[in-house]
This record gives sequence, C-alpha cells and structure tokens, in this order.
Amino acid sequence: MIPIIGISVWGILKIGILILLALYIVFAFVIVRQVQLMTATLEVGFESQLKFLSFMHFLFAIAVLIFSFLIL
Amino acid sequence: MPDIFISSKNNKKEDIKDNKESGSFVEEKKIKTDRGFNKPPVEEILKREAYRGLHPMQGKKPLSSFLFSPDGINFETMEAEEKVVLFLRKHLITNIPWIFVGLLMILVPTVVSALSIFDSVPANFKFIFVLIWYLITMAYILESFLTWFFNVYIVTDERIIDIDFYNLIYKEVSDANIDKIQDVTYKMGGVIRTLFNYGDVLIQTASEVPNFDFLAVPKPDMIARVLQDLRMEEQQELVEGRIR
Repeated sequence: MIPIIGISVWGILKIGILILLALYIVFAFVIVRQVQLMTATLEVGFESQLKFLSFMHFLFAIAVLIFSFLIL
Repeated sequence: MPDIFISSKNNKKEDIKDNKESGSFVEEKKIKTDRGFNKPPVEEILKREAYRGLHPMQGKKPLSSFLFSPDGINFETMEAEEKVVLFLRKHLITNIPWIFVGLLMILVPTVVSALSIFDSVPANFKFIFVLIWYLITMAYILESFLTWFFNVYIVTDERIIDIDFYNLIYKEVSDANIDKIQDVTYKMGGVIRTLFNYGDVLIQTASEVPNFDFLAVPKPDMIARVLQDLRMEEQQELVEGRIR
C-alpha cells in the first residue's frame, strides 16, 4: 500500500468505488421507473418480465454496493 | 333488374391474374359494395384469413418485429374503436451486434484473469471489479434490449404512431392521421437487408411531424401496400362522410 497524506491508495479507490456504486443505484432505479412508464405507454404482454429484469438489475446494484462496503 | 356492370372476358382474366399475383382479394366478390367500388373497408380487410399473404396474429407474440392485426396490443393514446393493423419494430437480426458485444463483455473477466495483468491488485478489489464489470454488462444488455423493444411503429386504421425510446431517460411519441399521409417511400439495400427482407419505410405527412421513418422494419413493401390500402379507405370514408 502506498500512503498518501495518511490514506492508502486502496482506501481512496474504495471511497471512489462506493460513490460510483451509489450513483449507479440511482441509475438502476431510473431504469426501473422508466420501464414502469414505458410498459404503461405500451402494453404488448411482456410487462411483468421486463419489470422483473429491471428490478433484478436494481437489486444486483444494491448487492454490489453492500459487498463492496463489507469486503473492501 | 339487369346488372349495369358488365365486364368483358378479358377484364375478368386480368382480375384473376392480379388476384393470384398479389395473393389477396380472394373474396373480393363478397365485399363488393353498392358503390360499385371494389375497395373493402378496413374491418373487412382485418377479418380475412389472408390479406396480401398476411395472417391476423392470434395470441401474444411480444418479441415479434412484424405483427399484422394483432390481439392484445394497447398503447397510451389508443381510442376505444381503434384497431391495430400493423405493429412493427426493427428486424430481429438488427439485435445481433449488441448481443455479440454483450457476449464478449461477459467473457472479458475470464480472459483478463488468464492474462495475469492484475496480479498486483488485492483479491477483494479484483472480486469487486469483476462484479462491477458484470453490472455494467447487465446494464448494457438491458439498455440495448429496451431500446429495441420499446422503439415501435404502430399503424392503426386511423393513424400511424411512432414510439421512440432514445435512451433510458428520453422517449418521444408522435402520431399522424392516415389521411395526412402524403407520400410513402420504402428502401431496401445491401446484402443483409435483401437476405432478411427488411428495410426503411419513409412516410411524409402534412401533420405537425412531417416525417415518420420506420427504420429497419421487416417486409417494407408489404407495409407500403397496407398503408396505401388504408389511405384509399380513408379517402373513401371522407367521400362517403363516414368519418369516426
């Protein structure tokens, strides 16, 4: 580890990753919301699967943030 | 009362020939109206088992890129009496580039770990980098699929609707009445497009949105014909004063 003003490079990287993942969660939530809006705009019989996919993506993003917080 | 429409034998032969060539209007006699005009109303067109070689879609096929007279399709601004004639998306084959890129992205962590480039990186960071990479891959695949899935073109018996899903935070829905259509052009070019029979249908209208571009849609020639039939029907409705 290379210390920079008392903080290691990995420590800075950890903070950066956590901030990025927090922003990514916002993005994932926007996808969930957009899928909800678009399925309301257009109904073709695939709505539940799409909502499930977008929600899984959102949950995956949250899981990665929690993992990062615990592991790093 | 004698029939006032007496056609010659030659004309009959030509009619039969036309019907065979287009594969349509087989039941033309049944729907001949008292106006002496052979063009059937849209409702009659949609009821037929085969119209220009197209079959009305029974049941739901949400991932199809060409649906003729489908059931169970609803959109935000659909009116109660409105009937969807065509439901279109980009041809399925246009998804191959992003599917290919997505598969490559899935393989990247395996390849990189085999190359031993990041050996100096701590194991916990490596694990999180891999997870973040898969997160980005998932977002890319999801976004590409949603862009294809929600970019649809709908032709109803009254209007054409273009639903554009440019990216995850921007959408645009525009429509124009069938009677506002001024010109329909379709383009097919290139090996792939000819092979898989898809192309662009460019529609000029007199409405607020001057151009509707149905891009990379299957059977563009058929779409142009259907639009032509609907325009004719709309004109006939105007003449007869049976506008909804």
